[in-house]
Amino acid sequence: MARAIRSNTRLDLIVLSTCIVLALAARALPNTMRDPAATGMRRTFLAPLVMLQERSERGRQSLLQADAKQAIVDSLSLNAMKAGSLEGENDRLRKIIGLGSRLRWGFIPTEALHGRGVRDETTVILSAGSRAGVSRLSPVIAPEGLVGVVDQVDPTMSHAMLWTHPDFRVSAMSPDGTAFGIAQAHLTGSATGGYLIELRGVPFRATLKPGAVIVSSGWGGVWPRGIPIGTVLEEMKTSEGWARTYLLRPAVNPSDVYSVMILRRDRLAKGFDGVWQNTTQVDQATQRIIVSGDSAARAAALAEAAARRAVLDSIARANGGVPLGVTDSAKAPAVAPKAPVRRVAPVDTAARARRDTSARDTIRRDSVRRDTIPHRPGAAR
Amino acid sequence: MNVGGAIRAIISFLIFVVLHYTLRPLLGWRAPMDFLVLALLLAAVRVRPSTAAVIGFVLGLISDSLAPDALGAGALAMTVVGFGASYLKAVFFADNLVLNAFFFFLGKWVFDILYFIGEQRLHGFELLQQLLLWSPLSAAVTAAVGVLLLFIMRPLLEPTPT
Repeated sequence: MARAIRSNTRLDLIVLSTCIVLALAARALPNTMRDPAATGMRRTFLAPLVMLQERSERGRQSLLQADAKQAIVDSLSLNAMKAGSLEGENDRLRKIIGLGSRLRWGFIPTEALHGRGVRDETTVILSAGSRAGVSRLSPVIAPEGLVGVVDQVDPTMSHAMLWTHPDFRVSAMSPDGTAFGIAQAHLTGSATGGYLIELRGVPFRATLKPGAVIVSSGWGGVWPRGIPIGTVLEEMKTSEGWARTYLLRPAVNPSDVYSVMILRRDRLAKGFDGVWQNTTQVDQATQRIIVSGDSAARAAALAEAAARRAVLDSIARANGGVPLGVTDSAKAPAVAPKAPVRRVAPVDTAARARRDTSARDTIRRDSVRRDTIPHRPGAAR
Repeated sequence: MNVGGAIRAIISFLIFVVLHYTLRPLLGWRAPMDFLVLALLLAAVRVRPSTAAVIGFVLGLISDSLAPDALGAGALAMTVVGFGASYLKAVFFADNLVLNAFFFFLGKWVFDILYFIGEQRLHGFELLQQLLLWSPLSAAVTAAVGVLLLFIMRPLLEPTPT
């Protein structure tokens, strides 16, 4: 018994000594052998433990950085919210600079200070006064167009009446000069009515299409000619029978007016050719495109009618009958002939009945119906 | 120890090892608990000193492989601690939480002493600060966590009544 215990103790000591010697040997290994050994263990049976430790440390880093990251996210969100307004302001300032470069001289850039009242968008305070050259009845403009007019002038600031003011009036016209009228605020008391413009007193013979640009006419001596006022939305029904009234979408929204320009009186006499010309040209080009599109559609309809008629002629000829037209279908023109064509009456009345409205229109326009009716079978001649 | 007890002991051992590589880096304390030492001590009181020495050597190599500059230091310290714990199990092996806490504290502190001396990375004041301040703190935390885990895992660690 005692021998067994001594034997076990000796074995324990031998194992202990062996482990200690191995540990010391591992400790004494040179770096060139130590690193590969450690790397080999990490990459083999210790790989799951290493992965666990890596994930835990990553989780701890995430926890530690959560507040900082949240602060960064908050800052980014705040900046993103500001970015929209900054872009808008940047765009406005860029337009102001562009307008200034086109005006070249005779204007006073200023800031528009809005009142605090709810829906008090009829007047603004301008940060330039008589010392800067502002005088009463000086026009106030924005890159988009008309804003208002100065009605009170102090040495360092001035007071302007916006186009939304009930007393505001401006003589207006279409860019081509075919329609004239008086523009004023559309006062209906509704939520959005105050931000629309009425163009009153347009002669009844002058019609304006929706989307047409309306500019100042230059009559009256306050406003120069050619400043955009708005675009036509629709014609309003009024009790006046001798003139038309149109509803305009304003070129400038008064609530968005922050940076404006005041035109000096000496600048008004020099004209504003080319300042807002682009807008007018774009509008006229748009109108021309619309008209061209209508003409192209009409021509296409005529061509299609002619082609249908040619097909019907061919069918009638193949059936041994008399074709609808005088000419052979192979020689049928691609478009409707301009001169009236004398036609022989068709034999097949059913084929005639199948002709569509376009074909009938074309035939009527070519005065064919008058010639073909006497040849209809059974018809009195 | 019967087969069931051995399996439960192995499971407990693996749980401690896994905790060492998950909970410890997640907490990241300056005086961290050492679940490997706890696993070694819990295993050592159940096996012969030679087996405990081998277990300690393997655990030490595992911990050293993640710090190659100290390869062998952890193995040496774990071997000695495992052998000592198994050799002294008659003294400390009692169903007393306070005694077990002291057992854990002592095992961890001895391990740190052997490890940092064998590592030869710290010298002078830094070594003294480590051995007399941070190591006892770490040993205390390890003891507290060990007692807590013993309490939680008591059904798993208690010997099966025969």
